[in-house]
Amino acid sequence: MVFLDLALNALASGIALGCIYALVALGLAITFGLLHIPNVAHPALVIAGAYAVVLANMRGIDPILAALVLTLPFYAVGLAFYEFYARAFERRGRGNTLQSLTLFFGVSLIVEIALVVAFGTDLRSVSVPYVGRSFELGLIVLPYRFLVPALLAPAVILGLWLYMTRTHSGLAMRAVAHDERALSISGHDPVAIKRHAFGLATALAVLAGAALVIVGPVDPFAGRVHLGRVFAVVVLAGLGSIPGTLAAAIIIGVAEAFVTAFLSPSWAPGVAFAILLGTLALRPNGIFGTAR
Amino acid sequence: MNGLVVEGLRAGYGAVNVLHDVSITVGEGEFVALLGMNGNGKSTLLNAIMGFVKPSAGSIRLFWDGQSVPLAGQAPHRIVDLGIGYVPEGRRLVPNLTVEENLKLAARGRAKNDFAENLDFCFETFQILKERRRQLAGTMSGGQQQQLAIARALMTSPRIMVIDEPSVGLAPIVVDQMIATIKELQTKRRMTILMAEQSFFQAVEVASRAYVLAHGSIVHAIEHGLDAEAMETIRNAMMGVE
Ligand SMILES: Nc1ncnc2c1ncn2[C@@H]1O[C@H](COP(=O)(O)OP(=O)(O)OP(=O)(O)O)[C@@H](O)[C@H]1O
Ligand SMILES: [Mg+2]
Repeated sequence: MVFLDLALNALASGIALGCIYALVALGLAITFGLLHIPNVAHPALVIAGAYAVVLANMRGIDPILAALVLTLPFYAVGLAFYEFYARAFERRGRGNTLQSLTLFFGVSLIVEIALVVAFGTDLRSVSVPYVGRSFELGLIVLPYRFLVPALLAPAVILGLWLYMTRTHSGLAMRAVAHDERALSISGHDPVAIKRHAFGLATALAVLAGAALVIVGPVDPFAGRVHLGRVFAVVVLAGLGSIPGTLAAAIIIGVAEAFVTAFLSPSWAPGVAFAILLGTLALRPNGIFGTAR
Repeated sequence: MNGLVVEGLRAGYGAVNVLHDVSITVGEGEFVALLGMNGNGKSTLLNAIMGFVKPSAGSIRLFWDGQSVPLAGQAPHRIVDLGIGYVPEGRRLVPNLTVEENLKLAARGRAKNDFAENLDFCFETFQILKERRRQLAGTMSGGQQQQLAIARALMTSPRIMVIDEPSVGLAPIVVDQMIATIKELQTKRRMTILMAEQSFFQAVEVASRAYVLAHGSIVHAIEHGLDAEAMETIRNAMMGVE
């Protein structure tokens, strides 16, 4: 009985946890998975998004609503940043992954320092009626706030998947990583497509930030714990697979929850990479990846 | 007159110049063949027309409906939108998209409104693409991929089709069909075609005019009908016989 209780609760919180990971990973599924840009600053951008939501919430705005509105300025920042990145790096020949990696580590640090300077290092959270209460479903007890990522992640992923499969710019985003010249021949401007995709990924950071800060308080460095795991999710999913991101994130979330419940919480952070290594040995292109 | 005019074109890669003072014209409704052996600059010329290679001198202009539009210096996607459909060397399809998605992707700008009509035409011209429309482009055979590459160019509602060696890597019987289909685009659909080809016999059967490119220069231009004498001259020029 105790075992079943523990297992069911681990499963439920693991799924909720996976949905959070999926939201944080989604932007990276685009920048790293599709554009092949090693955007290690993405988790820091998610935290910046969380702080933006906190600011709006201090004025009494609902965090989800705030996040939806904030996607627009975040999209614009993404466009501007990509333009800078493309001019500084991409147009000057190839083989500069290490340079870009350094750039994005730098951006990550700058975002963190800016947050520290502006808000200090204290934990920040949002106040909403659904924080602090739990619901019970049979043996499962789960805080209401966990429902936010659990609903938001599938909704956002479904929306993004429809966008990627049904629209011209969605198709173009899936094509750009494979062959830019193919896009040009089809009448698309590859640079504009990549800029748009980067903007979209940045806009997704604020949605993830909202989910994170609703689930628990954040500090300026809260992105760091997500960094490795989020890359693991994207690679496990198969580079560029959007539905795969949700599945991979939930697998990792559930595994972490079980390890925490039955072994020890200290092992949990290693779970993502154990799963990643195991899977890549069997399926080198990830769970949903196709050979490229 | 409507058409494409290249004049005094110089182009190459970095410090290496490939094309020297190249001039060609392609009038509306013509089928112009660009002949030359390996490495003589056919693809470089077509890539310069498409904006992938930047010319260092000369001009490339599209004359259409009384307007004269300079193409040199424009981005490739703009050139496509201005009406130059391109079937490149190596096909350059998007392997992880389906046949239909590859075609849909190309219905851009001016061609957006013609999407349904263009798609019908492509499926009518290339039956296999209709049957295989949900198959990933990367899993199609070489001949099927070549058909898709041509169909994709048709989806851009081109005024002029620029086709680079459609016969490369295909079995002879497939090549014959391919060339026949391209010829039909000209005769039945009144399309304008500029096609690079190194297989002399394939090209002269279908082309209304031909240019021969050797070492980056036009060494022969056959302006009127390809009679036996003209064919002999072209062949000698291609082989480097004086
Ligand atoms: N990307 C490139 N960078 C440097 N040189 C190139 C490049 N592409 C082609 N060249 C050179 O330019 C010259 C002309 O090549 P091009 O591809 O235009 O020939 P081609 O007539 O199309 O030949 P083929 O029939 O083999 O396709 C060759 O000497 C080739 O080595
Ligand atoms: Mg060539």
